[in-house]
Amino acid sequence: MSGWLSFLHDALDYWPQILAGLGNTVLLAVIITVTGLIGGVFVFYLTLSPNRLYRRVTEGYISFFIGTPLIVLLFLMYYGLPQWGLRLSPLTVSVIGFTMNVAAYNARYLMTAYNGLDHGELEAARAQGFSGLQVFRFVTLPQVLRMSIPGLTNQTILNLKDSSIVFLIQYTEFFAQMQDLAARNFQYFKTYLVAGIVYLLLVSIIVIAARQLERRFVMPGTRA
Amino acid sequence: MALLEVRNLVKEYDGKTVLAGVDLDLEEGQVKVVMGPSGCGKSTLLRCLNRLIDPTSGQVIFRGEDVTRPDTDVRALRQRIGFVFQHFALYRHLTALENVTLGLRKLRHMPAREANEKAMHELRRMNMHEHADKYPAQLSGGQKQRVAIARALAMDPAVLFFDEPTSALDPLMSREIVAVINQLYLDNVTMLCVTHDLFLAKYISDRVLFLDEGRVRAEGGADQMFSDHDDPRIRAFFGHGPQDR
Repeated sequence: MSGWLSFLHDALDYWPQILAGLGNTVLLAVIITVTGLIGGVFVFYLTLSPNRLYRRVTEGYISFFIGTPLIVLLFLMYYGLPQWGLRLSPLTVSVIGFTMNVAAYNARYLMTAYNGLDHGELEAARAQGFSGLQVFRFVTLPQVLRMSIPGLTNQTILNLKDSSIVFLIQYTEFFAQMQDLAARNFQYFKTYLVAGIVYLLLVSIIVIAARQLERRFVMPGTRA
Repeated sequence: MALLEVRNLVKEYDGKTVLAGVDLDLEEGQVKVVMGPSGCGKSTLLRCLNRLIDPTSGQVIFRGEDVTRPDTDVRALRQRIGFVFQHFALYRHLTALENVTLGLRKLRHMPAREANEKAMHELRRMNMHEHADKYPAQLSGGQKQRVAIARALAMDPAVLFFDEPTSALDPLMSREIVAVINQLYLDNVTMLCVTHDLFLAKYISDRVLFLDEGRVRAEGGADQMFSDHDDPRIRAFFGHGPQDR
């Protein structure tokens, strides 16, 4: 018990740094979730292009980012680009790297949902006189986003959890601070246990929010 | 004046001829039914007329304007043609009312209130106003088709196209839709209807076209076509085999 007391004491001492780290983690996760979604919608739109070249290039983009570890891209930008004279902040590198990666995954989720659409509805919209972009905005996207909520939620959870790797490029987020704490008090087990519980709590918030979203936007009759 | 004149319309896919030179005239206020065996090109014909499919050659003249020319405003053309599909094709994320208002708001740029009023008027005409707030999944097939017709009518089209409007419905719902289309016929709405449904064809049409192997094989009044036609293929299609003679 006294072990936990001294741990709490250390943690309280270190509280401002932990809180700042948590703030950085949430900041990064929120940014990349938003930019990754916008990027995903954009990439998805390009995969539907009537232009074959666009479709090929987009497919290549998705395959590339799903097929390469994110950490390689982050290191390339953070440690590699300065050799060419381009220095980017850890946050900038993280946002760019994650956005490109997450956009590829999100585009895949949206494409899967697209394959489940009733293409008669898309034909009906074209027959009504809507342009390609209008069909996308008013029929394709609203339906595909609704159907992709579970997949996009998973991606949001991954965004939060995977954000812990950016301590490797000097972004002082929550996990980096917890490592610092552990190195000070040598209470590795307790420190990382608490870190795990904090991640779990944050994920729970995402899951609850996603449930609400799903309930609000579910299309009647689309699930048994 | 003819609303629609089709001249020698040809459509080929990968060297396979689907339409082999179709001629068709539709006068304002007229109703024509196109019948024929599956795969004869009926649906392709409708889709060539509003350029959902580009014909290989031939002319489609819509109110005096050749709409097969490359500089045709295809979207403007489509807005003047109401299209009703076999499988209803309602936007399933929208309520019945929103299905009808979407085109009014986004294509006609009508204010929401005005669009709602216009849509409710069309839904009332189809006797669907009480279901305005329901989603497509909460409606029966016949109800869905009535919403789809309201959606097409709301745009004040010059002509309504029907692509097998009763084929996905059971006989009871099918009769419900026949009654609705018949009412439109009595209201002098110009219509071109592709169907297999003899009952529908008899009820609504002035003229029946028989399409076979991409060509109009015969055209005539409904009675003339369905009773004892001279052409054995047409007789066979309408169920008068040689034994009936």
